[in-house]
Amino acid sequence: MHQTRILIVDDELIIRESLAGWLERDGHHIMTADSGEKCLEILKKQSFDVLLVDIKMDGISGVDVLKHVKEHYPDIDVIMITAFGSIPSSVEAMKAGAYDYLLKPFDPNELGVLIEKLIEHQSRKRENYYLKEECKERSRFESMIGQSPAMQEIFDLIQDIRETKSTVLITGETGTGKGMAAKAIHTSSPLKEGPFVSVNCGSIPEHIMESELFGHQKGAFTDAKETRKGRLEMACGGTLFLDEIGEVPMRMQIDLLHVLEEKIFYKVGGTQPISANFRVIAATNSNLEKNIQERTFREDLYYRLNVIAMTMPPLRKRKEDIPLLANHFLHKFVQEINKPVQRISREAMDEIMLYNWPGNVRELSNAVERAVVVCRSHTIESTDLPIVTPECRGKSHPTGGTLHDIEKHHILNTLVENDWNISRCATLLGIDRSTLYSKIKRYHLKKDPAGRA
Amino acid sequence: MTDTTGGLPFILVSPTQGISSELAGRVGEAVGDFFGYPIKVIQLLQHIDFAFNPDRDQYHSTRILEELASLAPERCIKILALTDKDLFIPILTHVYGEAQLNGMACIVSTHRLNTDFQLSEKKIFERIVKESIHELGHTFNLRHCKNQGCLMHYCRSLEDVDLKSSQFCRYCEVLLSDAFV
Repeated sequence: MHQTRILIVDDELIIRESLAGWLERDGHHIMTADSGEKCLEILKKQSFDVLLVDIKMDGISGVDVLKHVKEHYPDIDVIMITAFGSIPSSVEAMKAGAYDYLLKPFDPNELGVLIEKLIEHQSRKRENYYLKEECKERSRFESMIGQSPAMQEIFDLIQDIRETKSTVLITGETGTGKGMAAKAIHTSSPLKEGPFVSVNCGSIPEHIMESELFGHQKGAFTDAKETRKGRLEMACGGTLFLDEIGEVPMRMQIDLLHVLEEKIFYKVGGTQPISANFRVIAATNSNLEKNIQERTFREDLYYRLNVIAMTMPPLRKRKEDIPLLANHFLHKFVQEINKPVQRISREAMDEIMLYNWPGNVRELSNAVERAVVVCRSHTIESTDLPIVTPECRGKSHPTGGTLHDIEKHHILNTLVENDWNISRCATLLGIDRSTLYSKIKRYHLKKDPAGRA
Repeated sequence: MTDTTGGLPFILVSPTQGISSELAGRVGEAVGDFFGYPIKVIQLLQHIDFAFNPDRDQYHSTRILEELASLAPERCIKILALTDKDLFIPILTHVYGEAQLNGMACIVSTHRLNTDFQLSEKKIFERIVKESIHELGHTFNLRHCKNQGCLMHYCRSLEDVDLKSSQFCRYCEVLLSDAFV
């Protein structure tokens, strides 16, 4: 569990000691500073979650400490300690961003409740951030489904490694559920109460990757207007999931290797080491061994990551799971889209089973979602599926012709099948509405009153 | 006084003014059973006036603990002091008790445990024992526990004290056994 790190800043020894003693018994990690100057010095070397600051101190005052903290360490919450005569300063402190203030001497319950509330507030703040990030990756985190021997092997491996914190390298084709497996490893590990921080290494531009991963100190570079935590620091006490690790630039590979070897890292522009107290799970659909030969991936990093290897099977190698998955997605999308579709017809299921699914589970999920959208009865039929099997390929698409001819024909078919509903067609074709309009114009496509393609 | 500890390490229960040796003996028996140590009842401090703060009309518990710890006799592993005086630490309005975390001494005040005159003596005794074990738990390096039924839970009210059980939760039990390793 995350231990709250509290720094008590007060020039009276007796106050520091009694408060520290009391809070230590609550299980918090406590440090004290006897002046504002000392506090700022400590903050340069160590991170804290909460500061308890006496408002009235010689030298740098409590309010000045607060202002400095809010500017340089905005993640730290500050509670002001105030005496009866200092109420106006407390108002000023609240305006300057203090979380709350306590009038001394305070009731032990008041202090306990305030600290509890603050810890909850902080953990909610952290959680909100992760949730926002995770929403973007939501489709990856379906529950893992499968009864096939291939999936049972995966479940067994997750079970076997549940007590360890060793690094895991998950390989597998696109759409096989590498992200889901990572999440499953996290939730069955001792770190499950901690955060699961996912980083898609392929989606972060190289120039901001260092700051994104390691965080930065205020002023470390032109745009560093304030000190910011990176994904590694956010993952402390939990799991760091590095998706598409094969896409990490060489320079960053050196930094990651250093983190895995030394178990510490630094913010960009920072001098204070931060303990890498998290488990790393990396995933890739590239052949890293080939990348090593081509010198685009470091061999030493590969061995550091590949402590436990897990390979997600492609859907074509676990066909017995397809009906289970298809029905799972059917129920999911029926609820989401709110349509009275109840089943997948036998013929449609046969077609689903015959198809090769190069895009794996993700492609199956998309296909079922599309079928639920276009289905006009209680049962999904073959015609509702966007699958291009050898049998149906001849029916709806021209076998020859230029790429333009094929595109024109496919767009027209989709428009007719969906009553020229532009939004739905754009979604199904994977393009935006304006692109679809421009293509309709370019190919001179017109709505046939008889509805024929 | 006869030594009933058989030369073994023991927990010392020290009543201060206002607490009878009889009550100290009964509390000692309960905490001795709980922690599995022999008990000695000795009044280490004749008075605690040195800790009195006239501005607050209360006694500064931290100072009492320091004094008690300096008086620990040989083989004494922990000291539990009992007082009927109202205790404080400078930053807080009052405390039910205080302990030296992973240290020698702790103290429990009955002052705020006995606010309802209709309360049975048995109930008050239960509260004193619970708070005594709680404070002694701190001297064995146990922190407050989130489990509301655990004796190491920090109680916000006397109702909460009554509601918590007379046992440690399984985690605090393990942590307590770690303290003896």
